[in-house]
Amino acid sequence: MRGPNTKAFQQGFLKNMIFSLQACSEFCISSSASGGAAMMSLQQRKCAIKSSANIAMATARGGRARWPQAVLASSSSPSRRPSKPSSSPGKKKKNTHVCKKIVRRCLHTRRRWRAGTGASSLARTTSTTTAMIGSREIARRLVRKRTKVLRKMIPGGELLDEISLLHEAVDYVAHLHAQVDVLRRISNAVQRG
Amino acid sequence: MSSRRSRASVSEEEINELISRLQTLLPSARRRVGREASTTKLLKETCSYIKSLHREVDNLSDRLSDLMATMDHNSPGAEIIRSLLR
Repeated sequence: MRGPNTKAFQQGFLKNMIFSLQACSEFCISSSASGGAAMMSLQQRKCAIKSSANIAMATARGGRARWPQAVLASSSSPSRRPSKPSSSPGKKKKNTHVCKKIVRRCLHTRRRWRAGTGASSLARTTSTTTAMIGSREIARRLVRKRTKVLRKMIPGGELLDEISLLHEAVDYVAHLHAQVDVLRRISNAVQRG
Repeated sequence: MSSRRSRASVSEEEINELISRLQTLLPSARRRVGREASTTKLLKETCSYIKSLHREVDNLSDRLSDLMATMDHNSPGAEIIRSLLR
């Protein structure tokens, strides 16, 4: 039986989440020098909840999959900055950096493709070039492109080969599903009580 | 060489099995009756599904953080949650 649908996983997930939320609030209280009532800003709380949900999911999953380690590694390396939205410009920089990389890679592959066909200098006549390359090659390229995107979605997916990537994808989707379910139940419970 | 071919065929079977499992997980599996999904469409759908799940987690944590603004982080709230979900 698969892990994420069992009650044990959901309880473990919930427990981990409560622990990490408490740890977050304690950290916030201890880090704010002005003692007394230290309420986290909305942004901080949102980040805390999101990261604790991911950490809880990863730790409740246990040994056999690859993505929990990647999630834990990525959440532990940036030190917790309990102040300011300074994380957003940092993230923006990272995003533009990643976008530049992607654009560069796309251009590179497109250039390689143009050089590879050789027959038509105008790359606009894609119909002739595709006819020359053959449909199987196209399918392979498309699959490669899609797996690249999939690799980015799954934490730790960049190092895996295709088969393990598919394994991880199946596992990750199931667990994300369970995570959404537990979060929904938690918010309903809090709303009611 | 024969070992290479047998290895390739084994992984192809594995790939097909994984793809079918992935297909059952995706929400569109209930709509479609026949398995005519090409691999690329399936991968694209997986990516968009993961993205939508991430967005859902975001929305839910937004909602939770809004709700928790009125609640204490201390143990009584956690106890309530734990007891409700048992």
